[in-house]
Amino acid sequence: MWTEKYRPRTLDEIVDQEEIVSRLKSFVKAKNVPHCIFAGPPGTGKTTAALCLAHDLYGENYREYVMELNASDERGINVIRETVKTFARSRPIGEVSFKLLILDEADNMTDDAQQALRRTMERYTETARFILIANYSSKIIEPIQSRCAPFRFTPLPRDAIIRRIEYICEKEHVSILNDGIEAILDLSEGDLRKTLNILQTAASVGKPINAEIVYSVVGKANPYSVRDMIFTALNGDFISARSKLRELLQKYGLSGMDIVRQIHSEIFKLDIPDKWKVKLADITGEIDYRLVQGANEEIQLSALLAKFIEVGYEIKKVS
Amino acid sequence: MSFRATYIPWTQKYRPKSLLEVVGNDEAKRKILEWIQTWEKSIPEKRAILIYGPPGIGKTSTIEALANDLNMELIISDASTYRTEEAVKRTAGRASQAGSIFGKKKIIVFDEVDGVSGTADTGGLREIIDVIKNTRVPVVLIANDAWDPRLASLRNLCELIEFKRLSVHDVARYLQKICLKEGISAEDKALKFIAERSSGDLRSAINDLQALAQGKTKLTYEDVAWLAPRDRKEQIFNVLRMIFYAKNSATAKSAVNMADVDLDMLFEWIYENAPYHIKNPLEFAAVMDMLAKADIYRGRINKTQNWAFLRYVIDLMTAGVAASWSKKTTGWIPFRFPERIRTASMKKEEKGLLEEIGRKIGKKCHISSARAVKEVLPYLRIILWNNPKMGREIAKWFDLNEEMLTYIAGEKLPSSAKF
Repeated sequence: MWTEKYRPRTLDEIVDQEEIVSRLKSFVKAKNVPHCIFAGPPGTGKTTAALCLAHDLYGENYREYVMELNASDERGINVIRETVKTFARSRPIGEVSFKLLILDEADNMTDDAQQALRRTMERYTETARFILIANYSSKIIEPIQSRCAPFRFTPLPRDAIIRRIEYICEKEHVSILNDGIEAILDLSEGDLRKTLNILQTAASVGKPINAEIVYSVVGKANPYSVRDMIFTALNGDFISARSKLRELLQKYGLSGMDIVRQIHSEIFKLDIPDKWKVKLADITGEIDYRLVQGANEEIQLSALLAKFIEVGYEIKKVS
Repeated sequence: MSFRATYIPWTQKYRPKSLLEVVGNDEAKRKILEWIQTWEKSIPEKRAILIYGPPGIGKTSTIEALANDLNMELIISDASTYRTEEAVKRTAGRASQAGSIFGKKKIIVFDEVDGVSGTADTGGLREIIDVIKNTRVPVVLIANDAWDPRLASLRNLCELIEFKRLSVHDVARYLQKICLKEGISAEDKALKFIAERSSGDLRSAINDLQALAQGKTKLTYEDVAWLAPRDRKEQIFNVLRMIFYAKNSATAKSAVNMADVDLDMLFEWIYENAPYHIKNPLEFAAVMDMLAKADIYRGRINKTQNWAFLRYVIDLMTAGVAASWSKKTTGWIPFRFPERIRTASMKKEEKGLLEEIGRKIGKKCHISSARAVKEVLPYLRIILWNNPKMGREIAKWFDLNEEMLTYIAGEKLPSSAKF
């Protein structure tokens, strides 16, 4: 996968986020790293920066000193109590006196897991340093935040992404047209992982990449979006909205929770009066709660869609 | 044909002689009895009752058994006789005025009143109304559909008494009684099967039983099971129709007993079909809300293992649905098989496989398995379609096996591009 093939290995290879990189380099030089929070949107190099830091700090065998955990996969308190503790408490052999624990998607950790983490961070500071990676640092509890050096990653600038695309195309002997690049930029929203995934998929067609190819592969790859489903419901077509829901749940493996969250984030982007947005949020919250209580995902989300249809009908009646 | 002489329909042979022998509808039977008994003292406010309900559940039998118990004489007018103004006057009209100081007391019965013809029975309904207004003896009207518009003015003069479909259990028990008397040993399963098929229509169940069992000493499930395929689907459709278009909560709720699928399956059928029938967005949201609430109770049963909550599931998914919409629909709408059932069995296995794939990809790409499924897998799928060789190389790097590959691509890949 090109995202991995072209992932920078050392801090020197990282072409952007200059300020962050230079601070990280100073850590390497001092052979000391504080606990850190890397926050920022997806595909801006947070995980890459953490791995590069580890590489530069420990050398080629850095894997021996690093534990990488993904909080979305292992979000429970037990992982923190057992796995993390076991790793963190022993001192490593070598010139760096601590190990590095990279906790990715840390904003998906439960609150009690975060509380447990806070204690662990304190107790084993001598032997382990933590890098917490999150989209939103606000979802990390205050006591942890105060123990960490914050790093704010920003979306990559356009030219940086264009340079990356051109560099990879040259290496891979793939030709790309200008409108192809534009299309990729348009669709990837400053997310470099997404950029490379789209680029590689477009390249697999085996022709010079133009806008048409880009839109076609992305169209095929993307499930009916949650947004699309919401529109369908607000326009009053329950039966199609329900098939889109089924597509999301079954074919694309989204959980009911995923969908509820995405619905919630879409609501306030809708072009409807605010009072209806709040109403939709209220409906979504009720369904969210029911799912937490163990109700059936499809049935509850269908009920949500039916309510959205009702709201769509009311809005039309008013206007 | 010689056997014809001995051929008595079992529906006749086992017609109840007494009210005690009539199965089901206890509430309705009690009401009728009470109403008849008030006539002993004085003429009640409503001089007629209208008994209504689907065929074959004992409406006429109840009246016959009752008359027998109370030693009363039935003056019956059914669809087989002319019911013109003239005819009604001549028979029922006269009987309704006759004092009965001597001889038996009378009950006047208009069976199948919804079958009174507008053309052939000119003035018949109007005359029946006249009879009711002036009668000095009890008048009983029987109909399948009490809400037939032609019966509107009749309805106001009558006390309405609804007869409901019989439960599978009641029908099966009655069949068992017949078998005992006929010297047939029948498997419970076989009788239950016939009972289920009858949709609560005892008459048709008895007819079926006679057709299948007369002259035998044993009746097994195999003897009756062949009746299945043709009617199964029909049956669930009837149940759904009963629920969606139920005129009252009792009818909607009783449909559950008639379904030969379990409650979860019935729920799926209702959920699948509701949007095709209920088109008004406000009503549909209300109906869907009922189903969602029923689902919440299912969750509560799971959590607490308290099966008593099942009654609320049933209430909400049947009566709740029926009561939440106006039942106005245009034309005939076919019922559909629940989509979710078709995909659900596959889903569980799939979920495991998908998680495993996500884990493998996530490990290599430094992301969670959920994100791998959402963000990487769709692209890998397209790559596999466009360029199997490239796709396979990536898959090998991810350490995915052939089964996973086939699943991702949604089809077998050309093997020309092996690793």
